[in-house]
Amino acid sequence: MAEDTQRNFRSVYYEKVGFRGVEEKKSLEILLKDDPLDIEKLCTFSQRFPLPSMYRGFVWKVLLGILPPHHESHAQVMMCRKEQYTDVLHALKVIRFVSDSTPQVDVYLRMYQLESGKLPRSPFFPLEPEDEVFLAIAKAMEEMVEDNVDCYWLIRCFVNQLNNKFRDSLPQLPKAFEQYLNLEDSRLLNHMKTCSVVTKLPYDLWFQKCFAGCLPESSLQRVWDKVISGSCKILVFVAVEILLTFKIKVMALNNAEKITKFLENIPQDSSDAIVSKAIDLWHKHCGTPVHSM
Amino acid sequence: MAQQANISELLSMLDSSALGVLDDITTVFKENLNSDRGPMLVNTLVDYYLETNSQQVLRILTTLQEPHDKTDTDVVILTTGVLVLITMLPMIPQSGKQYLHDFFDIFGRLSSWCLKNPGHVTEIYLVHLHASVYALFHRLYGMYPCNFVSFLRSHYSMKENLETFEEVVKPMMEHVRIHPELVTGSKDHELDPRRWKRLETHDVVIECAKISLDPTEASYEDGYSVSQQISARVDTQNSYGNATSTPYSTPRLALLNTPGQLPQVLSSTTRLSTEPSQATIWSPSAVCGMTTPPTSPGNVPPELSHPYSKVFGTSAGGKGTPLGTPATSPPPPCHSDDYVHISPPQAIVMPPKKEDRLDSVRPCLHRQHHLSNDRGLEETSDSKGSVTLRDLPRFLVDLDSEEDSVEKDKEEAAISKELSEITTADAEPVVPRGGFDSPFYRDSLPCSQRKSHSTSSNTQGPSVSTEPLTSSVDKLGPDTPKQAFTPIDRPCGCASESPAGNRENQTSLETNIFTPSPKIPSQRKVGFGSGQSPPYDHLFEVALPKTAYHFVSKKTEELLKKVKGNTEEDYMPSTSPVEVLDRLIQQGADAHTKELNKLSLPSKSVDWTHFGGSPPSDEIHTLRNQLLLLHNQLLYERFKRQQHALRNRRLLRKVIKATALEEHNAAMKDQLKLQEKDIQMWKASMRKEQARYKQLQEERETVVTQLHSQIRQLQHDREEFYNQSQELQTKLEDCRNMIADLRLELKKANNKVCHRELLLSQVSQKLSNSESVQQQMEFLNRQLLVLGEVNELYLEQLQNKHADTTQEVEMMKASYRKELEKNRSHLLQQNQRLDTSQKRILELESHLAKKDHLLLEQKKYLEDVKLQARGQLQAVESRYEAQKRIAQAFELEILDLYGRLEKDGLLKKLEEKTEAAEAAEERLDCCNEGCPDSLVGHNEEAAGRNGETKTPKSGSSRGSSGSRGGGGSSSSSSELSTPEKPPNQRVGPFSSRWETTLEPSTSIPVTVGSLPSSKSFLAIKARELFRNKSESQCDEDGLTNNSLSETLKTELYKDPSTEAKAPLGLDNPHPSPKNQESVGQLHIMDYNEIQHEPS
Repeated sequence: MAEDTQRNFRSVYYEKVGFRGVEEKKSLEILLKDDPLDIEKLCTFSQRFPLPSMYRGFVWKVLLGILPPHHESHAQVMMCRKEQYTDVLHALKVIRFVSDSTPQVDVYLRMYQLESGKLPRSPFFPLEPEDEVFLAIAKAMEEMVEDNVDCYWLIRCFVNQLNNKFRDSLPQLPKAFEQYLNLEDSRLLNHMKTCSVVTKLPYDLWFQKCFAGCLPESSLQRVWDKVISGSCKILVFVAVEILLTFKIKVMALNNAEKITKFLENIPQDSSDAIVSKAIDLWHKHCGTPVHSM
Repeated sequence: MAQQANISELLSMLDSSALGVLDDITTVFKENLNSDRGPMLVNTLVDYYLETNSQQVLRILTTLQEPHDKTDTDVVILTTGVLVLITMLPMIPQSGKQYLHDFFDIFGRLSSWCLKNPGHVTEIYLVHLHASVYALFHRLYGMYPCNFVSFLRSHYSMKENLETFEEVVKPMMEHVRIHPELVTGSKDHELDPRRWKRLETHDVVIECAKISLDPTEASYEDGYSVSQQISARVDTQNSYGNATSTPYSTPRLALLNTPGQLPQVLSSTTRLSTEPSQATIWSPSAVCGMTTPPTSPGNVPPELSHPYSKVFGTSAGGKGTPLGTPATSPPPPCHSDDYVHISPPQAIVMPPKKEDRLDSVRPCLHRQHHLSNDRGLEETSDSKGSVTLRDLPRFLVDLDSEEDSVEKDKEEAAISKELSEITTADAEPVVPRGGFDSPFYRDSLPCSQRKSHSTSSNTQGPSVSTEPLTSSVDKLGPDTPKQAFTPIDRPCGCASESPAGNRENQTSLETNIFTPSPKIPSQRKVGFGSGQSPPYDHLFEVALPKTAYHFVSKKTEELLKKVKGNTEEDYMPSTSPVEVLDRLIQQGADAHTKELNKLSLPSKSVDWTHFGGSPPSDEIHTLRNQLLLLHNQLLYERFKRQQHALRNRRLLRKVIKATALEEHNAAMKDQLKLQEKDIQMWKASMRKEQARYKQLQEERETVVTQLHSQIRQLQHDREEFYNQSQELQTKLEDCRNMIADLRLELKKANNKVCHRELLLSQVSQKLSNSESVQQQMEFLNRQLLVLGEVNELYLEQLQNKHADTTQEVEMMKASYRKELEKNRSHLLQQNQRLDTSQKRILELESHLAKKDHLLLEQKKYLEDVKLQARGQLQAVESRYEAQKRIAQAFELEILDLYGRLEKDGLLKKLEEKTEAAEAAEERLDCCNEGCPDSLVGHNEEAAGRNGETKTPKSGSSRGSSGSRGGGGSSSSSSELSTPEKPPNQRVGPFSSRWETTLEPSTSIPVTVGSLPSSKSFLAIKARELFRNKSESQCDEDGLTNNSLSETLKTELYKDPSTEAKAPLGLDNPHPSPKNQESVGQLHIMDYNEIQHEPS
């Protein structure tokens, strides 16, 4: 109790002044002190609050299952992961799929392919669409994480989560997108319908690649916080928010192709605001996630 | 005559088209006219104009200078001119106005002429002239009253004209009313063309006639111009044919002063006052209707004359007129009879006669002969038409009828009676004023002298004429009151006509002679006439409403006149020039007939020359002129008649229309009556319905009130019932409450009863108990008694055996004491034991609790560890998976390479390949076979994969220790070899395993660390357990690890961590069995210990 009061006497003012994250960081630290780690609580926290960047990698790894909840086995498990990484990399080198000159992203892709048993017979075979998705995500992730092993594992598990956990919900997202856009701005939606651009929107970019390559990484990782913590619906709201932000431009454009093109290459400067608004919007429509336990 | 021829030449040249010639001739004419004062040239010009209608001549004539147009003093011409002017005036009201003053001048001049007679013409001519001036006066006054009056005013204000005014104009003015225009109009207004535009010629004539009071001139609106009709008839008697058709011969009626239509009574009264002279007016010809001129056929039924004549008769009898003919005598009745007989044939005869007359006149008026011819034709045709026309009104009048007539007649009769009385009273002869202008003036004087006679005769008249009276009464039927006068009338009329009386008689006789037809019986004629009198009378009745007023006023006026009657002046002006002329003609005609009678009949004209030598040319001339004048007069009158005919036709149309409308009105009235009847009927029925409705309403109301009262009663009842029910309900409530109370009480009572019963049962039980106790008591008492007895018995025995027992008892007591002490020590012992055992139980229970707690802790920890292990395992597993993939990839690569080699097709390579294949096979065999026995090979293989672990494994002394390398995490075996169990090599790995798990647990002071004693306890137990087991294993030392592992494997299948199952059986049999074994051991240990602990 004493500790609590000491910690919280400013907390009333933080929110008012506009500081966010001070409280969160502390509470996250408390959460991370637990042994074993409470995955559920971490998920809830990650959904409610932005993750401090210093803990982001760790939390992601825990949430994605790269690290087990028990602190004591972290080192051992990490060792194991690293060994696996080296083994796979070695194997690829042996079979000459990769070389030292191969870009890191491709290396990740090959490794992932190898591990999932989808390695093509020749490195020169054309890439599948899912590989493109992987590459996009890998590129974004590479920017965020420095360590190769961590990076590979994060990419791998992220993609796996997309492919397994969100396999059913991802195709529903375009519909949800239309629905929420209608609620927010039906005029815009009507305009888009009249332009018949609704079906041609960059859904792959938005929902398959999770905006990788669309938003700058600094903003993107905030979105991925939510995705990794188990909510792919945030993607819909980001998309909606993008449209709302660039509404005037979209309204001005009448051609479906132009709209799509514009949306695929939106300006990067307002992305932070977009993400913040999208998260607010998401909270507004889906409610603030509460720890269910 | 030469000049005459010259003139005719000139005249013919006048029409030449050459302008120069025209001017010359015109100037010649004008010069001529200026130079020559004789009328010759002018006359010729006029003649020429009349023949050729030459405009030039007209121009010349219109520019005639003074001498020509005024110098003419020929009365004939003057009269003709005046008449023409009079005739023209109504035709040119508008265009004539510029010559208005000329007209007035003409009038002024002629009127003075009449008086002064500058031309010294015969008085007979003057009469004619005077009549025409009189007509002119009427016309001018009728058409331009304001202008004319102002002219009169200015003209006669001059002294020299005063006489003329007094003598000529003033009497004329007595015959006119005040013209309405004098009041409403002005000089300019009279000349306004708009005034004349809507009037036709005959309208103008009638307008003029309206303002006239002279019956001959006067016209009464609505066409009751009776007088003319009558006069016409009278004329037929008096004159030959020429007079028959002319209306101007009716001076008798001149005094019908009333402006409107006068009823006969009125006229009679006026008659009375004015003119008795020609009361003999009644004419059968009128009855026949043959002679009546076409004028006013619709308006005046001929019967009108009849009453008039009677009335005249009376008036004549009552009064002396200035003209009053010597009322000497002829017996009146016969005269009247004569009339009756004579007139009809006269009428029939007349037309041819007239024709003759016209022929005789013709030489005088050469140029007018065709005109007269036309007139004649017209006349005949008109007369024919008049008959039919006249029939119509008569018919109409018949239709409408006599309803009022009787009444009226009676009234009139009364009045006339009164009048007759008055007249008789006033019958004094009036001195005729006479001396107007007319030649009759002189005649009138003798008349006046005779007047006294006539009056006296008249006064006697009624008595005398009773017979005819009665006869007439018979004839006339309903008209009795009027007829009362008739006898008076006729004789008087005859008497008044006395101067001409003889002649009259003669004429009538003559006419009798002349008539080709036999005499018509007078009775019949009269009957005829009188038979038709009622409808005629009725005609007056129609007019009566209008004339009622006049009647009264006239009456009073007349009475006034009577009062003033003595003054002659009143009567004097009543003689109009026309009348005078009329009379003149009459007389002239009489004279003429007389003359003719004297002569032989066949040819009169011849007679004069033939018989009486040359007739005095002067007289012939005079006669001719007179004839001419008469002819002129006739033409004028014809013109008037024509105008009247026109008007009458129009009026007739109006009458027809009016009657039609009246009929229509009557029909409408009938309809109206019918409808009113209907309405009344409906009203009645409505009233009935209303009454019924009221009745019904009342009934309904009564019913309603009844129902209301019923309702009220019922409501009242209902309320009562309601109250009752309320009361009952309250009662019911009370009852319920009571019942509830009672039930409660009942319950209570029941409870009480139950309680009582219970008590009762208890009591009964107690009783039974007590009873049993009593029984027992009794039994015990009995026993006591028995025992008492026994005691007594024993006491007796005791007393008997007294000494022996004491010792025995003491010994027994001692033994008892000892026994008691023994038992007491025993009890103590027992108690102590119990205490100890209880303590022991408590101790053990606490122990047990601790054990449970520990167990829970252990379980928790175990779960935790399991989770941790699972996490690690997953990582490892993924790694393994990756390895597998890698291997697959490698294999794929190898196979690929082989494929490529084969493709190269080199034998060498083939051999190498076989070797390589063998080597590969060997390796595979090693993998498969080397698993159970050769751990090294396996290790080597593993080292191939994981080089790092190779070195520590090689460093390890035994294969079993090498197997630890498979665990991966427990890398250093040196560390694991704990100092506690150096001897137990076999158990080492297990224990080490155990300890490695325990080591972190010790380092983390979580669960187990808190209970060191229990840990030690457990550890000891575990060690004991494991020791036993290891000992047993040591016994079976010969057995391989495999067997052990196999035995353990079965247990492992039950292990919840089934994930490790697959890798166990297949690829990694060596390291994992150990591992699993340890786990399995732990598992067993746990449960075993738990199970063993309490024992």
